[in-house]
Amino acid sequence: MSTFYALLRNPQGALGLLIVTILLIVAIFGPVIAPNDPESFNFGSRFAAPSMEFPFGTDWYGRDLFSRILIGARSTVLLAILATVIGTGLGAIIGVLSGYLGGWADEVIMRLTDAIMAIPSLLFALMILAALGSSALNAVLAIGIAFAPGMARIARSVTLQVRALDYVAAAQARGEKLGWIVLAEILPNTIAPVIIEATIRVAFAIMTLATLSFLGLGAQPPSPEWGLMIAEARDHLFRSPWPVIAPGIAIALVAIGFNLLGDGLRDVLNPKTAD
Amino acid sequence: MTDTLTLNDYGLWYDTPSGPVRILDDISLRIAKGEVLGLVGESGSAKSSLANAIIRDLPGKVHAEQGTILLGDQDITAASGAILEKLRGQRIAMVFQNAATTLDPVQTVGNHLIETLERHTTAQGQAATARAVELIEMVGLPDPQAMLTRFPHEISGGEKQRVVLALAFACEPELILFDEPTSALDATTAATLLDLFRDLQARTGVSALFISHDLGTVSDIAHRVAVIYGGRIVEEGAVETVFSDPKHPYTQALMASLPRPSDGRTNRGLAGTAALPAPRRGEIPPCIFSASCPHHDAAICDAQQVRLTDSDDRRTACARVAKGQILHTPAAPNPAPSPRGDDALLQVESLTVSYGSQRLIDSLRNRISPHVRAVNNVSFKVRRGETLALVGESGCGKSSLARALSGLYAHDGVTRLGNEIIPSNSPAWRARVQTIFQNPDSSLNPRHSIGTILGRPLKLIRTDLAPQDRAAEVARLLTRVRLPADYAERYPHQLSGGEKQRVAIARALAARPDVIICDEITSGLDAAVQAAIARLLREIQAESGTALVFITHDLGMLRHIADRVAVMYLGEMVEMGEVASLDTAPWHPYTEALLSSSHSVDPDSETRRVRLTGSLPKRTEDLAGCPFASRCPRHVGAICDSQQPPRRHPAPDHEILCHIDASTLSAVPPIWRFSDQLETQQ
Repeated sequence: MSTFYALLRNPQGALGLLIVTILLIVAIFGPVIAPNDPESFNFGSRFAAPSMEFPFGTDWYGRDLFSRILIGARSTVLLAILATVIGTGLGAIIGVLSGYLGGWADEVIMRLTDAIMAIPSLLFALMILAALGSSALNAVLAIGIAFAPGMARIARSVTLQVRALDYVAAAQARGEKLGWIVLAEILPNTIAPVIIEATIRVAFAIMTLATLSFLGLGAQPPSPEWGLMIAEARDHLFRSPWPVIAPGIAIALVAIGFNLLGDGLRDVLNPKTAD
Repeated sequence: MTDTLTLNDYGLWYDTPSGPVRILDDISLRIAKGEVLGLVGESGSAKSSLANAIIRDLPGKVHAEQGTILLGDQDITAASGAILEKLRGQRIAMVFQNAATTLDPVQTVGNHLIETLERHTTAQGQAATARAVELIEMVGLPDPQAMLTRFPHEISGGEKQRVVLALAFACEPELILFDEPTSALDATTAATLLDLFRDLQARTGVSALFISHDLGTVSDIAHRVAVIYGGRIVEEGAVETVFSDPKHPYTQALMASLPRPSDGRTNRGLAGTAALPAPRRGEIPPCIFSASCPHHDAAICDAQQVRLTDSDDRRTACARVAKGQILHTPAAPNPAPSPRGDDALLQVESLTVSYGSQRLIDSLRNRISPHVRAVNNVSFKVRRGETLALVGESGCGKSSLARALSGLYAHDGVTRLGNEIIPSNSPAWRARVQTIFQNPDSSLNPRHSIGTILGRPLKLIRTDLAPQDRAAEVARLLTRVRLPADYAERYPHQLSGGEKQRVAIARALAARPDVIICDEITSGLDAAVQAAIARLLREIQAESGTALVFITHDLGMLRHIADRVAVMYLGEMVEMGEVASLDTAPWHPYTEALLSSSHSVDPDSETRRVRLTGSLPKRTEDLAGCPFASRCPRHVGAICDSQQPPRRHPAPDHEILCHIDASTLSAVPPIWRFSDQLETQQ
């Protein structure tokens, strides 16, 4: 709770928290707020500019962009968060284990993650999708796996500091099992930097998801997923910019919101700058 | 003549997210030319903040400042950055605790000195270099020319602190601020450094503020002393006056918790009631010490703000003392030693710990990789109800030995519990031998509640205990270490340093061990807390008959905690015997130097000083002779360097590893000259 209040006092953190809260409300209640059916065609008002009736304008079928964005928020934002959670969880456990075990195990795990990190994460996600087949959930899984090595590096470097502390020695001396030492003694103490990195990664996940959808490997039409919306609207860019601008701004807002939240958390969770 | 430094009613408040915090207030001090003022206080007394305030480098966000700080006639509280830049280094110098972090690792010793000289004095180029060589000679470092080109990592900790001292003296300042300059050094090194400072101070006539938590060091070096508690000076006067006859209840309590060399003879105990942290926020009581004061009398003490008042020989901030009343803090009784059994609970035979393994490349080149033998062929036993103290300076292998006995480090040699041979990394050993680590901040997991911390050993080792009984057992353990049972729901950061160490003790007790290894558990705690922890361990030992291995570098505590003592040097056990045998010769020459370099405030004894010169051999070298040969003041010749010394037995259960025979060692002059009254008692 004190973290929450400290976050509110931090200007970046407060703004980030505001944006992310609005976003989550939209993601949850989007379908209720949306004034129109996102998939109903209004051929009378194709390529309409923003107006009272269509706040963000309409696309080439005359579908209401405002409603599409509100409803698309759920799949876009929640899938991005899911991808980040998978990547963070996987990476943190690998990193902590590698850092704690040290020696040969550490060398092998870290060189493997280095090799994976050498492949751009989009390309790596594409490879995984090629193997798993294209669907929204597979895209999430692919991004999660692609994120894991980076998270593992961060978790490992924090673990190396924590491992030298006496409470780990005390646990070893009383004969604790590996599972308890890694999950209960070390992991909770490495969590702050990992959470901060995760919030920043959410923005990356949204952009990568959007890119995958853009390439036709994530969500499939007529789903109002934001990346897919941009990909489809590209053909009509010269008739009307609104079908590209509206989801584009939405993605940018999410990225900024999570980045700000991450920056705020970094200051708040760091005991040196917290006081 | 104006004083070098004058503080008038100085006060400092910092801004924090939860409101302003009082750091210092009502500070009035002066340091005359050529005078050394000692400033003593416990952790959190804001003694370092006072140094920060004087050098005008305040780390916090200042809420308010009041009063004046005068350097000579100049008020520096309002001085601009440019003026301060000229002052610092040139008129005020500062010596910090940790020389390792004070020196820039990528600059040579010479660069440090020359930069300071060129910036603040007229000496430039060749002249600055010449002066740098002179300064290095002045602080007693060998081969000054070569020293100029060395980097900080190439010289030892004591040498680094000498370089810092040379930097402080470089521009012949009027005032030097010392912030715990010897706390990070070994006793024998610290002693030589203090000698050096005393000598330089007498020669240059510099004034100094000497901040330390160690009253013994201050009594050795300062002319006057000020005692600080909760950001206020409570007593100030000449060192001899204040320390031999403290008037303020806080000073009295502080003195009563310090061990003295004469304790073995007077059977004096240590007072273990620590003062509460002073109030820092909100309404400040008229007397800052009133919450912890045993002599608090609302009618007198709360009548008006208590300030320092002059009496004939000192200034004291106590309303009752000001009224001419004489307050006494009763001496604490020494706890009765726990009964010692005859059966050895823990036996260690030729234990050796070494670091470094044979590398592949060295094997191919037919060479032996360098390795360090941290503990070399050590044997000892500890009986039921007995405390064996392992003492020695940093790098002597005592912590490696502790970790080997905790089953954390691999080692050679045999370990027995009772008469059974049990390897130290086996579950059977772990169930019966527990370890308490040095720093409770790092030995208690900050994310676990005290209940979880104490519950784990119950779950792992006390398998006879049903899961539903664990909470009750945790409460019982907390009560046993004198903590409230509801602490089980708290987290380590909500506890004070002493309370945390009690939790660590409770965790060790949870397993009902036969042997507890205490690895420097009292260092880093204030004297009163140390005394309380020592008393608690004694009580627990008397109840349970646990054998304790108590590792420490603090010789003063020995008489209050240990029955027997083993002195380690470079991984070897050079002396072992009863604690009482430390009071009189024979000693191993190293033990003698160690005992004589520990500072204490004791009106009943005077200490003879033995100083060690020479340097430690490389840890990777295999020594043919005695490990202490390179620094031994009683070196008898080539035999010391070439042959392993024999184990001599001047008395049964007393062992000395030395080439000098026992009768010669017995004939050395005593280290302490006790007051006549105590001498005749013997």
